[in-house]
Amino acid sequence: MTWMGHQEVSGLGPDNVGPTVEWVMVINIHNPLVAIDEFNEVEMVLAKSVDVSDDGLTYTFQLNEGVKFHDGTEFTAEDVVYTYDFYRNPENGASIAGEFTGVGSVEAPDKYTVVVNMESVNAASLTGWAGTAIVQSKYHAEVGEETYRTAPIGTGPYKLKEWRPAEFTELEAFDDHFRGRPNIDVLRQDVVPEPSVRMIALQSGEADSAVWPLLVEDSVFLESDPGFVVYRTLANSIKHLPLNLRTPALSDKMVRKAMMHALDRQRIIDDLWNGAAQISHSNLSPASPYYNADLPQYEYDPAKANAMLDDAGWLAGADGTREKDGVKLTFTCTTITGDQARRPIAELAQQMFAEVGIDMQLEEAPVASILQSLREGTMDCSLFNWTYGTAIEPDPFSTLHSTGGNNFSGINNPRLDELIETGLQVVDPAKRMPIYHEIQEIFVDEVVALNLQFDEWINVFNTRIKGLPENPKTGDPIYQQAYKWWIDES
Amino acid sequence: MLSYITRRLLQGALVIFLISLITFAVMRLMPGDPVYMLLGEGEIRISQEQIEAIKAKWGLDRPYYEQYLVWAWNLLRGDFGDSLIRTGVPVREMIFEAIPVTAIINVIALFISLAVAIPAGIWAGVKRNSAFDYASAVGSTLGVSLPNFWLGLMLIVLFVLYIPQWFGDIPLIGKIPPFGLRSWQGYILPVLVLTTEQLAVVTRVMRAATIEALGQDYVRTAYAKGLAKYVVITRHAVRNALLPVVTVIGFRIAFILSGTIVVETVFAIPGIGRLFTDSVFRLDYQVVQSLVVVLAVLVVLVNLLTDLTYAIIDPRIRIE
Repeated sequence: MTWMGHQEVSGLGPDNVGPTVEWVMVINIHNPLVAIDEFNEVEMVLAKSVDVSDDGLTYTFQLNEGVKFHDGTEFTAEDVVYTYDFYRNPENGASIAGEFTGVGSVEAPDKYTVVVNMESVNAASLTGWAGTAIVQSKYHAEVGEETYRTAPIGTGPYKLKEWRPAEFTELEAFDDHFRGRPNIDVLRQDVVPEPSVRMIALQSGEADSAVWPLLVEDSVFLESDPGFVVYRTLANSIKHLPLNLRTPALSDKMVRKAMMHALDRQRIIDDLWNGAAQISHSNLSPASPYYNADLPQYEYDPAKANAMLDDAGWLAGADGTREKDGVKLTFTCTTITGDQARRPIAELAQQMFAEVGIDMQLEEAPVASILQSLREGTMDCSLFNWTYGTAIEPDPFSTLHSTGGNNFSGINNPRLDELIETGLQVVDPAKRMPIYHEIQEIFVDEVVALNLQFDEWINVFNTRIKGLPENPKTGDPIYQQAYKWWIDES
Repeated sequence: MLSYITRRLLQGALVIFLISLITFAVMRLMPGDPVYMLLGEGEIRISQEQIEAIKAKWGLDRPYYEQYLVWAWNLLRGDFGDSLIRTGVPVREMIFEAIPVTAIINVIALFISLAVAIPAGIWAGVKRNSAFDYASAVGSTLGVSLPNFWLGLMLIVLFVLYIPQWFGDIPLIGKIPPFGLRSWQGYILPVLVLTTEQLAVVTRVMRAATIEALGQDYVRTAYAKGLAKYVVITRHAVRNALLPVVTVIGFRIAFILSGTIVVETVFAIPGIGRLFTDSVFRLDYQVVQSLVVVLAVLVVLVNLLTDLTYAIIDPRIRIE
């Protein structure tokens, strides 16, 4: 079975999980204790069960017995303790160290039990750190992290056969995998940077799936081809115009509400995004179990937008731009330099705003300086994708809490802060539900950002691959189930 | 002769030093931070302290002059350092793995284009304004003006999707893969694309040089001596006409990097062009800096070699 990615696979250790092309390989070589599957459900992998204490401070994992690493040694609780302690230690400079926030100590009371003690309750934690791939501890300690990334030993269904970072990564079936030997003998990922070539390779049968999507129009074309299975899933990030609520023209909530009514978001999706997106009505995607389906929606209605602005005292000046108390309704949207995909959205939005007397100027700047200016509160508005809580973990602390590191809007709402803090202290999903529903209500009512759409992520498979899931909710996690699939050549 | 070579090498060393300094500065001036490149799309929770820890591990928290000196000193000792992004892999290994890949497809393309272009250019020059001359003019114009990117994609579509569909399983060309160099058939399309452009350039240069040489006094003298046309062309005209071609070849070697980025990207070939662009986008400072220095050394040497070759081909050029 051959998959294709768009960029090199720069390493194969548990810390190489940022880029999708690396994660899909790492997760087939290793296993975590628990995983989030393609339906956003928690799946037990190396752990048989997990028990969370009532105060949310102690996690007790019972491990599967008789699990073998690729080198034949047995997987035990010591490997888990070693892995967690290594990657959460700030001295080791791991990029996943942040996942372990709140973890106080990790212990192994016996060979098949792991206890994680939290210093403070962090409801967002389990799905983060428990997804970390477990390494063979003796081997990792012996060769060190850097060598390990080039020659990993895990418990996963596939073991590394050959790794040429810029060319391909080839894995072969591991006979003693604890869930049974995978059906497909060889799993390889080729690096194919050019999306059109990935399309041709799928059509010619050279490859079975593109881990990194094709051009949207190519994916849509393959949907009508019986030789392919095409999945559309929703991304967690919102394509949005983050607003700085401290800008005089944007500080009036009625103005922001009027702007939402002035935007024809369906037209943006249809005309500029090949229809491969869904309108965002919340900070969370509809794929999230915490999604609030009863939120008020901002339908496209320029007349209503005009009326709202008139009522709020923003009246058209001589040049057609509205103003109130000497403040003109004008601001600047800075898009990312060279971002040809999203820039047209800003241009269309500019026209839509002009129709209701709002003046949006356009500028460009590199992404690093945009993020810096937004964090410092010196930029009015931008346009990019960002996550305000994922489908698995709804916490939006970094973007919506007054002290959050990515609080682009500068929102400082005591009730919102309180809800976010409470949400992180509660572990039971049923008890968290009303908290996150209310956070979404505030997000929508305050119009913290002009939320446009959730992009669709499109994954394509050749139909000769059998055992694929039905209606998955997320794209990447599909690939961790490769051990269940088989090939039907008929 | 020896003092000339020594002088040229010393000048080259200065050029390489300046290039290394400029590359170092440009990489640091680029907006962004390599740490963020590791973190994917902002879904990983990480604190400022943790980012500082990663930077300290890579030595990115030290002053710029110190970073430059450490890197330059290690480079002089042949230690290229480790890649920031592809941790654990020495940069030297990455560069010397990629160079042969790029070199092989370029050398094959260069040989094919020279073998075809030199005779074609001479023929077009000798038979000026003939049907062959016009045909070669049209062919070269097309070859130069077709973008490599477009040509590469069209060839893949043609050879991978359509030809097998129209003609079934033809030996050899029925097995051309859409990308990669895993089988020898994988070389056919990338070499074809590179050849197309070089062939066109060299044919034009060779034709112009031949026409110019044929108008020279020594050619008239040779005819006056009663030499056969064949001898006049091969011994007197062509030998002098080769000089500009040598210049073009030297030039092409210096431009291998920029010339093959597109071809390597389209055909997914792990050569230096792609290593360079990938490393720039991922802000892998060590790789970009070292690669530029290696290429600078290569260009300095090739230029020297080109100048020495002039003297061999044309004894009128004296090197002092």
